[in-house]
Amino acid sequence: MIEKDIDEQIKWAKINADVLRSMENPRRAYWITFFICIAMMACAVTAEIYQYNTGMGVTNLNNPHMWDMYIASFVFWIGMSHSGTLLSAILHIIHADWRKPIYRFAEAMTTFSLMTAGFFPMIHLGRVWNLYWVLPYVSDRGAWPNFRSPLVWDAFAISTYLSASMLFLFIGMIPDLAICRDNARGWRRKLYTVLSLGWIGSDRQWRNFRKTYLLMACFLIPLAVSVHSIVSSDFAMSIMPGWHVTSFPPYFVAGALYSGCAAIITLFVMLRYYFRFEEYMTVAIMEKTAKLTFAIAMVWTYLNLIEFASTWYGHDIYAKELLIAKAVGPYSWIFWTMLFCGMVVPFALAVEKFRRHMPTMFVVSLLLNLSMYFERWMIVAPTLSMSHDPHQWDIMWPSIVQWAIVFGSFGWFGLLFLVFVKVFPSVSMYEVKEMVFHRRRLINEDAAKVYSRRARDRKDATGEPELEGA
Amino acid sequence: MSLQNIMENWSNYRRGAEEGGHHKYEHRWGMAINLDLCIGCNACSTACYAENNLAVVGKSRFAKGQAMHWLRVERYWDESQNKSSSVTPDYPEEGASFLPMMCQQCNSATCEPVCPVAATYHTPDGLNAQVYNRCIGSRYCSNNCPYRNRYFNFFSYYESSWPEPLNLQLNPDLTVRDKGVMEKCTFCVQRIRAAKDKAKMADRKVQDGEFTTACAQACPTGAIVFGDRLDETSKVAKLWQQHEVKLGVYKQHKQNPEKRGYRIFEELNVDPSVMYLERVRDTGI
Amino acid sequence: MSKNYRIKALFSDFDEAFGALSDIRHSKIPGISIDDVKLASPIEHPEIEEVLGDRTVHIPKLTLAGATFGVVFGFLFLASAQASFLVQPQGGKPVIPLPSNFVLVYEMLIFFGVWTTFFSFLFLSGLFRKRSNLYSEKVSLDQIGVIIEVNEQQRDPLKDLFKKHQSLEIREEEIR
Repeated sequence: MIEKDIDEQIKWAKINADVLRSMENPRRAYWITFFICIAMMACAVTAEIYQYNTGMGVTNLNNPHMWDMYIASFVFWIGMSHSGTLLSAILHIIHADWRKPIYRFAEAMTTFSLMTAGFFPMIHLGRVWNLYWVLPYVSDRGAWPNFRSPLVWDAFAISTYLSASMLFLFIGMIPDLAICRDNARGWRRKLYTVLSLGWIGSDRQWRNFRKTYLLMACFLIPLAVSVHSIVSSDFAMSIMPGWHVTSFPPYFVAGALYSGCAAIITLFVMLRYYFRFEEYMTVAIMEKTAKLTFAIAMVWTYLNLIEFASTWYGHDIYAKELLIAKAVGPYSWIFWTMLFCGMVVPFALAVEKFRRHMPTMFVVSLLLNLSMYFERWMIVAPTLSMSHDPHQWDIMWPSIVQWAIVFGSFGWFGLLFLVFVKVFPSVSMYEVKEMVFHRRRLINEDAAKVYSRRARDRKDATGEPELEGA
Repeated sequence: MSLQNIMENWSNYRRGAEEGGHHKYEHRWGMAINLDLCIGCNACSTACYAENNLAVVGKSRFAKGQAMHWLRVERYWDESQNKSSSVTPDYPEEGASFLPMMCQQCNSATCEPVCPVAATYHTPDGLNAQVYNRCIGSRYCSNNCPYRNRYFNFFSYYESSWPEPLNLQLNPDLTVRDKGVMEKCTFCVQRIRAAKDKAKMADRKVQDGEFTTACAQACPTGAIVFGDRLDETSKVAKLWQQHEVKLGVYKQHKQNPEKRGYRIFEELNVDPSVMYLERVRDTGI
Repeated sequence: MSKNYRIKALFSDFDEAFGALSDIRHSKIPGISIDDVKLASPIEHPEIEEVLGDRTVHIPKLTLAGATFGVVFGFLFLASAQASFLVQPQGGKPVIPLPSNFVLVYEMLIFFGVWTTFFSFLFLSGLFRKRSNLYSEKVSLDQIGVIIEVNEQQRDPLKDLFKKHQSLEIREEEIR
């Protein structure tokens, strides 16, 4: 039996009511998570104040290890941001309508993980108060940033991506904000009135809206690919063994999609539970997301293995030595955990029984993201510990300050996300309406065909199928 | 204005290192380090600490690898050959090799293009300059240096490194760097500056041997030779020529084993300005 | 001096609204053209908009213009910044390095393309207007509204037409 993505008989009024209710009374687990996130953030703020006042040395960074968990987390969070917008845009263009109940929170995830990622280059700077020197502004001293530096490309790419994905999220939300406006009271009504920009659902608005949304989706797909390629060039543009790898851009993009999809599954399970969205975030949609994640996991696995193979058969002795050191050196337990969680665990997604069991999917998705975090760390740290000059080989483990800030970044992300889902509709109401409308229409047309065929064949069918309105 | 500037100088602005680049070099400061003469005494490193206001970080931070020595003497130990031999000479060769390692002032430096704010750039003197005031501490340059010769101010050292009255020993010709700034060997740029100013006042060219870097000055065996490679008569240019080491290549083509000159990691095409003369070993290790 | 009215009819279903619109299109009521009709709906529905006739959207042109501006401005901006900042020759690289400028120009293309699209959407789709008295919250829930401005003679035939198509509610307001 083919399971439906959504029950197409849901009334439109019920969709409105359910989603609007989600903004009012979540389960208690929501508030528990909320306060845990605040506590996590407090850890990071304390650590950052200490680091800011004392100097970067408190992170245990040293001469060969100039970068560590901050940059790994930066890449991790940027990667996480890829799935939401990219998948939403791709699935929009190919008319895969099962994206509709889940794309809103996925896009919010994109925006917030970008906002989290953006902190890390700042936290990691030695003199963060001069950060604005990276921006290309006209200065009276005639000084410009160095446009050759991949870090400047990062600044360009991330600001473009952040604004584009925020706009994409916002534009897609305007019709829903109008619904909220019509149903809210108090401060919420004022907020939604401003944000819905006077949306009344006229044909002119819808026509322009459709075109704008499509154009934005078309911009976002190449943009998202380019952003993570540029992040990968932070490494690939250098000459360090293990960083100077030609296959890094696709490898990073695949890794980004992978961790993003895993994060979508995590948040899917959480939101489904918190807001009682069982009717919208259905098991069938979870299955589709899981299958997609599995496919991406296999792409990532392939690119990972191809990177090892090209290093192994290549002539770069530094890189080969580094690869061996990764596998048997002091960081080897991280390396093997990453490979196990990234290449073996995703096979759980291929089992239907696991895909349909929410707690299992929650654990699996967390393991996948653990693997992706380790992957980023394995890219950053071992290269620095073992580069060209053997005199400067060193093993370094991050200090508690780094751990606290990285830990807190999850709190910050969680906080933003939880506030978002409480203030804004986390399921797109108008698009779920479209989804059920079109599906109802399709099913009715199919049924009509079946009936009419029967009518011809048996001459005993009775009339047209019921064409019920909204 | 700048558009006109681009149109007029387009081909000039598009020239890479292979065609000589955009610079017209006034000097190309370089070094020749004779490893045969190096005895690993660390006098060069000490002189550097004194000359360049390098912070003394203390035992625990040194152990963490946060030291600030612009010039480090790297020690490598070969496997001793004498263990199997029955005859023990009076002074057994333990195979210690010393390598004074400072910024190689690469002409195609990998640290330069990755700096987001152009805090490190190439001067018309052929030096790889670091502008402390411009540095924002992204530390990418250090990560991209194959020699790992860039040192980061992980802490503010002024109080701890030069407590009163030690602050009186600071060299007034250059700054004390605060936390969050990258620094590295400058070939004693303050001495270069002074010598150039003096020569300009006297309306003459800078002469070879007129000044030298702190490390070369302190070296008891004269292993470090510093000078201008563009000046044909300078000692350093002669040494480079004698050992057939060329700039601007990534592999020195020479057959004669007597020519001991080599540059470290030149196969990475970074084009360093420091030439090392290989050690002559009697034990044939 | 005849009065003008703005009439809004609400339908529970796209099929009924569609029927009413095609009747208007086929000039069942003299003097009313389909071009005067405005439709308000809770979902995006391209099929029903076909009956409204050809109404063009100008956003793609502006997007193209914005993206082109991004490319041209981006390259000139970068190149002139580099040519006026001659301290930059670094690492043996040219003053104006094309490969890295291409990367940045690519980002500028998208940056300007996205923002022009957004602003053209804001200005071309009739946002930022006060909701009229006829605005019904039911449109954002599940009903479809058809809005027409008519004069006094057309008013009653139009209302009858709407009623024929089982409209749930008809509102009108006088305009001058």
